[in-house]
Amino acid sequence: MTFLHPWAVWLGIAAAAAPVVIHLLTRPRPVRLPISTLRFVREAIRQRRARSRLRDLLVLALRTAAVLLLAMAIARPQWGEKPLVSDDEGGQAVRVVLLDLSQSMAATSRSVEAIERARTLAAGYLRYRPGLQANLVLAGATPRPVFDGPSTNFEALREELARCRALPERIDVNRALGVASEMLVPQSENDNRRRELVVVSDFQRSNWAAADFAQLPEDTQIQLEPVTADEAPANLAILRADARARSARGRRVQIEVDVGNFTPGARQAVVEVAVGEATLRLKATCPPGKTTLSDEIELRDLGWQPGRASLVGVDDALRADDSRAFVVCTRPRPVYALVTRQKADERPSSSHYLECALVPDRRLGDDASAELFRVDPEDLSHSVLAPADMIVLDHPGKLSEEGVKLLAGLLRRGRPILYVAGELIDAVNLKRLSDAAAGGLKMPVEFTPPPAGQLRRGLFLASVRAERPPFSVFGDGLQTATAGLRFAGGLSSRRNDGGLQDDLLAAYNDGSACLVMTASDAGALAVVNADLAASNLPQSEAFVPLVEELTDQLLSRRREKSNATCGEQLDATLPVEAGAAEGLTIVGPGPDDADPTPDRFGRLSDEGAAAVWHWPAPDRPGVYQVRREGKPVFAMALNVPAEESELESLPGEVFTERLAGGRKMYFHGTAGEGDRRDDAWKWFAVVCVVCMLGEVSLLLAFRT
Amino acid sequence: MSTAVQSRFLDMRALVALEHMRFTTRHRIEGAYSGRHQSRQQGGAGEFVDFREYYGSDDLRRLDWKVLGRTGKAFVRLHQDETNLVCTLALDATGSMLFGSGGRRSTRGSKLEYVQYLATALSHVISRGQDQVGLAVLDGGLREMLPPGGTPMHVTRLQEIIENLDTRPATRIAGGLRDLFERSRRRGVLLLLSDFLVDDLDEVFAAVRLFRHGNWEVIVLHVIHPDEERLPEGTAYRFEGLEDEGRVDCSPAEIRSRYRQLFESHTAMVRQYALADGCDYRRVSTAIPYLRVLHGFLVERTG
Repeated sequence: MTFLHPWAVWLGIAAAAAPVVIHLLTRPRPVRLPISTLRFVREAIRQRRARSRLRDLLVLALRTAAVLLLAMAIARPQWGEKPLVSDDEGGQAVRVVLLDLSQSMAATSRSVEAIERARTLAAGYLRYRPGLQANLVLAGATPRPVFDGPSTNFEALREELARCRALPERIDVNRALGVASEMLVPQSENDNRRRELVVVSDFQRSNWAAADFAQLPEDTQIQLEPVTADEAPANLAILRADARARSARGRRVQIEVDVGNFTPGARQAVVEVAVGEATLRLKATCPPGKTTLSDEIELRDLGWQPGRASLVGVDDALRADDSRAFVVCTRPRPVYALVTRQKADERPSSSHYLECALVPDRRLGDDASAELFRVDPEDLSHSVLAPADMIVLDHPGKLSEEGVKLLAGLLRRGRPILYVAGELIDAVNLKRLSDAAAGGLKMPVEFTPPPAGQLRRGLFLASVRAERPPFSVFGDGLQTATAGLRFAGGLSSRRNDGGLQDDLLAAYNDGSACLVMTASDAGALAVVNADLAASNLPQSEAFVPLVEELTDQLLSRRREKSNATCGEQLDATLPVEAGAAEGLTIVGPGPDDADPTPDRFGRLSDEGAAAVWHWPAPDRPGVYQVRREGKPVFAMALNVPAEESELESLPGEVFTERLAGGRKMYFHGTAGEGDRRDDAWKWFAVVCVVCMLGEVSLLLAFRT
Repeated sequence: MSTAVQSRFLDMRALVALEHMRFTTRHRIEGAYSGRHQSRQQGGAGEFVDFREYYGSDDLRRLDWKVLGRTGKAFVRLHQDETNLVCTLALDATGSMLFGSGGRRSTRGSKLEYVQYLATALSHVISRGQDQVGLAVLDGGLREMLPPGGTPMHVTRLQEIIENLDTRPATRIAGGLRDLFERSRRRGVLLLLSDFLVDDLDEVFAAVRLFRHGNWEVIVLHVIHPDEERLPEGTAYRFEGLEDEGRVDCSPAEIRSRYRQLFESHTAMVRQYALADGCDYRRVSTAIPYLRVLHGFLVERTG
């Protein structure tokens, strides 16, 4: 135990002895008096002592205790582990204060933001002391020291500290520690200054769990100053908002919102989604953890549109994550080119089933050529396939060499292909297509004709990647939807060591592949290994959603990245139709961002056939649009990292026992055991008052 | 009657006021000589007081022949004999009697001085009434004893002894009283003047009871100095005992009340002892002039 004001202890001891000393010094000189009744005097004294000795002892004890307790209260006793960094330490020292500026520092607790507490704490370590040099590292996604090295300009450091605000980004802990390490590293062999690192943060588990303090000099004294309470403040957040424009449905958009409930119990969440002029309200009871809410919305316009999902009626710790921006790009319905030898009027046939599944809402007798047109394999050419957004092959027969090369070229350039392999010749076509892609297409399996005499009938699905499209569309009903499916036809398959096994989405009971989807440069190839006409799949309810999800997945591979997180470097490839970088402008989310300063929102450049948007440090959330002549050709939603919403902190012992890396570390817990506490003075003061009241009571009780 | 050499404690001018008063006793006494006090003897030479039927053992000389002749019945005449008083003054000369002198070597202002004045005056009054007066000085034992006598020489001698009285550091007087009882040949009146600040209070009154059983009249004069009744004002005193009892440092304020209780309790106890033993008890405060005390005492006894 130590004292904040040790002089008060000595003062207290002196004060406690003072009554005795004063009594001895001022004791009156007795008057000598002969007396005849000395026996009565003795008896009176004896009787009085029997009564008052106890009183005198108690009064003396209470009075002395009161004086000592008052002195102790003034002395402010402290116990527990002594902080490694304090102004009590003298001598030469270099100190780095690392201030966490991540978004979670904007969380409020008892109506005070964590960053406010952090500023106050950090300011306490940035006071002048002889021999002390200090620096402040503002730690966000890109840590930044205030000065290039430790300085004695504490006033400037405090001014910079006063300007600090929480940033909409996460902290790069190890980069920040690296910056601090550069400040603390000895300047020479004779540099024996005391090295101190003070980290002021909320110590969020998601950010600090992988902190590596071992990069600091070994003799660094590390002090961690948390700014949050023991329990994580209750927070409700939108972790993800996404709008999937389903290619097959045109303006109909699938909205998905992940709501994070970081409270102990379930919470009712109301999410209001606005995209353009359309709005949607999602309601659900969210248990602790992540809950996904989804619904469809029909948009009026096509093209790039900004959207925002917001929690309604929520009063939680972190307001910044109560809404999240997103963008959606709606395009016209895709056009399919169905390459088949089968006639359009040949019903039932595999191609007929496919046509019905690809354009499910076409009425009988309608001209489907606007969305799907049949192509004879003999007529394959670039001009014929140009209008198609996707190429579907079913019973194409043996493809010509030129046709294979054309398909491989289109595939690599981003044109998706759906291949329904129902005939033996399809094994040859797929092999030639793979070869024509020249290593750009590595399927997980190699399709081969089935052995002679082997009848491929009555096959059923034995293994399915339920969590991935297209099967994920069934959710919990996958087993029900696929249990009755029986397949026939198709090819045998054997594992291809060069392929990615994750691309094998479903397999039959005989081990052969059922559905494969493999990327090839910008495009994707999906192979359905079955003869649809001989299978019961087209007659099942699962057929249309399965095909729709499959085609949507193939088409979505062409989608550009349209969301990013603040603080992290942005490199986005613009769609080809956006054209060259020349003539493009970036417009920010704010009202004054229509005409920004050059490179305010990064830089656009031409790389290959497309323009690339490069922004080293995005600093503001919202929807940014890339426009040409005022018309948006691309949009990007920048948001706060979802990890910032979970405000749970790492316990102090994790730092001191696991992450310290052999360095001396002190975790200044909010009220934990072993923490240095100096609040006992209140109790000393209370007991002092009790002693004084006890003395008065005693005197009244023994009053004669 | 006059004394050849007057004691300094005998103030004749002050005693003029008491010239007409005599020391009397309420009981019949035994005396060696004829006097003015009723004797236990009822002979034929005294004042007629009554008739009584004749018994065979009565002296025929006391038979009233006239009554026999007139009534035919035999009666004897009763006469009260009068004799002189034999009084012994027993003075306490222990150290506590020196209280009041202020620590000086002289006895001025002390209880002893007061007792010297009072005893000298009493001896004067008693001897002036043709009675005999003796003296006993008590400390640890019977320090000095002067048997009762009535001659001027005897009284002068007695007053000399009183004049030269001093104290000794003793705390017991019961032994001296017992010795006095054993050495007294005739019963009479015992005047015990003491402050009773002794360790053997029970034994003192046991000795007094010896006198009472011997048909002595015992008069207890309890001498109290007013400064003994309460402790002095002041913050700190070092009280020193007058009888080699050591010393005590204390603040009187702390024990004043209790001290007073103890002193009053002691006084009450002495009075209770005295009255229980059939003694005549009188509390004498040295704050009251001894002449007034003596006057009151004599008046009370005269009835």
